[in-house]
Amino acid sequence: MNELKLTEELTEEYDKFRHGIELLMKSPDFSVGTTPSEVFYTEDKMKLIHYIPAVAKTHPVPVLIVYALVNRYYILDLQPDKSVVKKLLEEGFDVYVIDWGYPSGPDRYLTLDDYVNGYLHNSVEKIKEISGLDKITLLGVCQGGTFSIMYSALHPENVKNLVTLVAPVNFDSNKGILNLWAKGLDVDKIVDYYGIVPGDFLNSAFLLLDPFRLMIDKYIGMFERIECNTDDATCEVRNEDYIKNFLRMEKWIFDSPDQAGETFRQFMKDCYQKNLLIKNEMELNGKKINLKNITMPVLNVMAEFDHLVPNDASIPLADAISSTDKDTLVFPTGHIGIFVGSKSQKEVCPKIATWLKPRSFLNGKGDEKIGSGKKERLELAKEITGSGKEELPELAREKKLEQNIKKRKSRVNKK
Amino acid sequence: MEKSNFESTREFYDQWINMYKATMGKLIEMPAVGPAREKSEKMMKGFSTFVNLYAAGMDTSSNLQEVFLEAMQKVQEKISADMDGEINPEKYKEFYDIWIQTYSETFKDFAKSGHFVSDLGRLNANLMDYQKYNRDMLEENYLKPMNLPTKTEIDEINKELYTLKKTVKELTRQIKELKENK
Repeated sequence: MNELKLTEELTEEYDKFRHGIELLMKSPDFSVGTTPSEVFYTEDKMKLIHYIPAVAKTHPVPVLIVYALVNRYYILDLQPDKSVVKKLLEEGFDVYVIDWGYPSGPDRYLTLDDYVNGYLHNSVEKIKEISGLDKITLLGVCQGGTFSIMYSALHPENVKNLVTLVAPVNFDSNKGILNLWAKGLDVDKIVDYYGIVPGDFLNSAFLLLDPFRLMIDKYIGMFERIECNTDDATCEVRNEDYIKNFLRMEKWIFDSPDQAGETFRQFMKDCYQKNLLIKNEMELNGKKINLKNITMPVLNVMAEFDHLVPNDASIPLADAISSTDKDTLVFPTGHIGIFVGSKSQKEVCPKIATWLKPRSFLNGKGDEKIGSGKKERLELAKEITGSGKEELPELAREKKLEQNIKKRKSRVNKK
Repeated sequence: MEKSNFESTREFYDQWINMYKATMGKLIEMPAVGPAREKSEKMMKGFSTFVNLYAAGMDTSSNLQEVFLEAMQKVQEKISADMDGEINPEKYKEFYDIWIQTYSETFKDFAKSGHFVSDLGRLNANLMDYQKYNRDMLEENYLKPMNLPTKTEIDEINKELYTLKKTVKELTRQIKELKENK
């Protein structure tokens, strides 16, 4: 390389850096969680969010997404063009998500039981009430998946299907660094001192997993990706989109709610340190969680290169439950990539939808169609029951649901 | 690998800690007497808490320095092999890639080691002890005399509030059930 070429390269690097700074100085709008929604139910700091359906007639069984307490649920709706929530809506599902909120003050005493048998259970009951159904689908993500597994074992009568996404159930894994670290921690000292365990405390642990990549290389990479091709008109649009998406991810990573101390204590000790859940020895408020009570259809989704929840933390779920209708999907992505990577939209969501659709019908046949009008519905009712009465409970529920959706849509539009 | 400077450093700190425990530490942990014995004993306990944190910090620091040294040596070896031992401004990108990859991998390996797990656990536990001690002292020596609410008192109120909220929820549920059964 001669000096001229070196100068050219350095100038190019400097241009990228300068251009990146200019883009950041424009304060780009990098809103997250933009899919239209409404708060459907609140309890303390928890909010149950309902997304406005994207189709005229959704699949009958609603889907409740349960996210982890660490970080925020909007990773599933991070970018308008890469949104698990949006994709599920487009696939015809009626989607709800729990926003656990930011604990403070008295929340330090919230227990795992409060989360699972309290907030989660009440959310399920509310959805059952509005939909007129006895069961709904749970889609648990990461720690939220573990909560969903606990809930499904304790309240199997309320769960039509269980989908777990990168969810740990066996914590005795030497492949996950977090599993190793957790074993050496004096959890009692942490909870007794903090009360509410700061999100930044957990975040620093995540950064320690790979400090050089996460604290240096990531930001250098951000500027390196900037294009400075003046001949290409679309280049600037790509740059802006890239910076916005980078900032969205950055916001999500550091938007870490503090953790309710007692919940953190039990989760770390019973799950990470004693691995009680998979042994059917874990208890919530004195009630034992027996995974054999899980009999509903289960789909266990994993990320092959997951550094936070290694596959051997999720795989044992299949053998631990009694369900006969159970499937496993593994995608060649990482823990976060499974929600926001390109495969997420092209493969992960469509495959989950394909599995879920035939199981999201009340009759269990899976032969109902989306978007059918009244006439078609009556025909469908005939097919199912041999009569064509509109008073069929199923149709009445659908009607009620449609009315609710219309009402909500108009409320959201007014806002 | 021959004995690094950090091992000597660690040996020095180990000796220092052992010496401290055998001499000054015993003096400090000696039961206090006299009218101010309670306060004095608490104050002295703080010294031990700090020494424990310091010792844990030193161990962690020497282990980390060891890893830095190892990473640095690996970078040098890779430069010799991949860049013909030549570090010049023209190859800065190549150098950066080698540097970041080597440091990242070396630290990730270290993070999985028993050393790190034990260092992290010990450092964290001692840090919590130290912070708790400082907070207790702040409450004891400043907040209480000024009649200001302490963390302990706020926690008590928070616990009461949590219990009350839970009771109200349970009672509301029971009333709802009774109404529905009527």
